[in-house]
Amino acid sequence: MKIKQGFVVREIAGECVVVALGEASKIFNGIIKLNETGKIIWEQLSLGSDKDTVVEKILSEYEVDRATVEADFDRFVETLQGANILE
Amino acid sequence: MFYIQIADITVGIDNRYEYVYHLCKNYIITEPSACDMLIRVTEEEIQAEQKIAEIQVSAAYAEGVCVYRAICKQLPVRFQSYLMHCAVIEYEGKGYAFAAKSGTGKSTHIALWQKRFGEAVHIVNGDKPIMRFIGDQLYAYGTPWCGKEGFNTNTSVPLHALCFLERSPTNSIRKIGADEAVMKIFHQILSPEDIATVDALFPLLDRTLRQIPCYVLGCNISEEAAEVAYSGMNQ
Repeated sequence: MKIKQGFVVREIAGECVVVALGEASKIFNGIIKLNETGKIIWEQLSLGSDKDTVVEKILSEYEVDRATVEADFDRFVETLQGANILE
Repeated sequence: MFYIQIADITVGIDNRYEYVYHLCKNYIITEPSACDMLIRVTEEEIQAEQKIAEIQVSAAYAEGVCVYRAICKQLPVRFQSYLMHCAVIEYEGKGYAFAAKSGTGKSTHIALWQKRFGEAVHIVNGDKPIMRFIGDQLYAYGTPWCGKEGFNTNTSVPLHALCFLERSPTNSIRKIGADEAVMKIFHQILSPEDIATVDALFPLLDRTLRQIPCYVLGCNISEEAAEVAYSGMNQ
């Protein structure tokens, strides 16, 4: 589970956004806005991290319970899969 | 071959069809000693454009579309400017940009401003103005490419506000934050195709969203819509 090549993450007016370039723009045409945890999940998935690593990373930075983080992670991954962004 | 000046940029256009020359007539300048960009569209590009067009278009019209795209792709990296799909009017020295999905009624809404506020309202561009920072101020520039009504003026105006239109039975306006505006503005620009463009364009969008107040106007087609828009953007 890894983010495909060609996605770039940038900040605009304090908002974290992702766009697709080159080949990636053929599968995803638009913009994705990431919240704080979305940003961490995205970064970790770009590196090819697995679910446990991502969840641990979020738990180490935010005071939230594991169940919530895992649910957030699953929903996020589902969205990315639906948009054909993961390889 | 002819030369135009748009957004203070000089462009040489080596055209194949007459159409684009006539389209640009209000922007034509005499041959400059040096021009900022030279545009030449190939027959293949014109044919490719005809294939992707939503309605059947002539090769001459398609050339015009290709020329403008070729110009606009160079704007962020070379001229700290960008194309925004919106209608811009000038009233009392201030520029108001209205953006919406095609068919929502941008032209109808700016016509309501003219009806409500009279001849003091000028249309800078009905569909595809260029946004360019001069110093700290963002200006909207008229260009020959302006939508089917042909509303355009060879002028520029400091942008006062950016307003996203939505159809609604009643008229109301609300100010939106960058979180909402960033998604909306992105749908009105040419998607960047390379890293260099991303890195030039995104700081421009960042400055735009930090400096220009953004609104969502729910509006109908009564004159009150223009009144509500004007008061909302001048509080």
